[in-house]
Amino acid sequence: MRLPALLLAAVLSLSVTACATRPPATDREAVEEFEANNDPIEPFNRAMFAVNGAIDTVALRPAAVAYRAVVPPPLRTGIRNALGNLRAPTILLNDILQGAPERAARTAARFVINSTLGIGGLVDVAEWQFGLPGHAEDFGQTLAVWGVGEGPYLFLPVFGPSNPRDLVGTAVDAVASPWFWFGQGEVVEALRWARFGLTILDAREGVLDTLDEINRTSLDPYSTLRAGYRQRRAAEIANRGAGTPEAAFGTGIGVGPGNRAPGDPLPR
Amino acid sequence: MRTPRLASRRLLLGAALLLPAMPARAQMDTGRAAAFIQATGEELVRVLNSAAPVDQRRAQVAAILRRAVDVEGTGRFILGRWWRQASPAEQAEYLRLFEEVLIRNLASRFGEYQGVTFALGRAQARTEDDALVTTVVQRPGSAAFNLDWRVADVNGQPRIVDLVAEGASLRLTQRSEYSAVIQRGGNQVAALLAAMRQQIAQLSR
Repeated sequence: MRLPALLLAAVLSLSVTACATRPPATDREAVEEFEANNDPIEPFNRAMFAVNGAIDTVALRPAAVAYRAVVPPPLRTGIRNALGNLRAPTILLNDILQGAPERAARTAARFVINSTLGIGGLVDVAEWQFGLPGHAEDFGQTLAVWGVGEGPYLFLPVFGPSNPRDLVGTAVDAVASPWFWFGQGEVVEALRWARFGLTILDAREGVLDTLDEINRTSLDPYSTLRAGYRQRRAAEIANRGAGTPEAAFGTGIGVGPGNRAPGDPLPR
Repeated sequence: MRTPRLASRRLLLGAALLLPAMPARAQMDTGRAAAFIQATGEELVRVLNSAAPVDQRRAQVAAILRRAVDVEGTGRFILGRWWRQASPAEQAEYLRLFEEVLIRNLASRFGEYQGVTFALGRAQARTEDDALVTTVVQRPGSAAFNLDWRVADVNGQPRIVDLVAEGASLRLTQRSEYSAVIQRGGNQVAALLAAMRQQIAQLSR
């Protein structure tokens, strides 16, 4: 996981020169809005948003459209289930770190049931037959529960909407996952790449309709995503809402932590 | 000892001056709010699932929304701090455009909402004035999602003032969007009105 570190370094060096102008203290309402947006490096973020738009137009969105067209829905659901099952150890660890024994027990039971009866996680038998629905957790949320602030809003190409706390969370989740440590050789490497590729496809396909909708109806998709992401993230941290995940692993419009796409502020 | 007293008196005076500007709002009864959302939701679902021509369905949806949504209050909330900066003519045009965007956006998604159903969750009072009615919306072939309706008492009638989808408030998101358009247009409300007009032209094509 060298990419997040590299991106973080790029962000930190560039952000110094790309600060948004803070309104004068006399304009109280403008200052309030500036602080509520939590986006002091907005010019930099908007530049990254444009870069992301270009990558998305030529690569990510077409790939997601093709994935939806070629792979039949039951198989896509199976892939999403299996990817979600591979995340179960990460979710379990975060359930425990957040002091939620009941949720941890549910995650552990789901992992055992789905890995065996569910044919390696392809079928969500735990929800279907045992009435045990899944939930998402990640280390960014755990940090939030521990009282760590999110830091300034960040928008990164491919990765999507984020912040320093959630970036750190993603890196910790990656390293703390058992799949990061177990196995070696060509087959394992190939499986890792397959998982990585499918994760991106699944995440992008999961937010296809929502992002199309935002781009079609919003007069400023950048701020719509920002407002939507931050509200959704707050709801996730508080464990509010119980919708089915839209992607096995996704944040906003790219790949990242979480079992659902937080950049989804609109009903679909 | 004189200054704080003076300050508090000034504060009281300020509050008194503000009061007449606020719309008359009473506390919203949660049971009444839930019944209102149930009835409005059923009405909307019936139109969305009907086989009538698009123009006719749009007119029906427009009638329901005008009756059920506090268009003026919500529109003013979304324009936020820019409302006072707008001229009376701009305010009037903004409210007209706001209503049209609301209706046309929903109308442009009629196809996606074929076969939609919804179930009422439990209603809960959220603030002193509003009630939040929770629903689960189900569409064929896609995952169910949580949609909460914020209902306020506006001049004695229950009215929808916000939609919260999976934790994200539509009016907060839209306020952020509109304010960004105004700021990027040189702090001019006219920039937003131009963008809204263009959007309506695109949606009606």
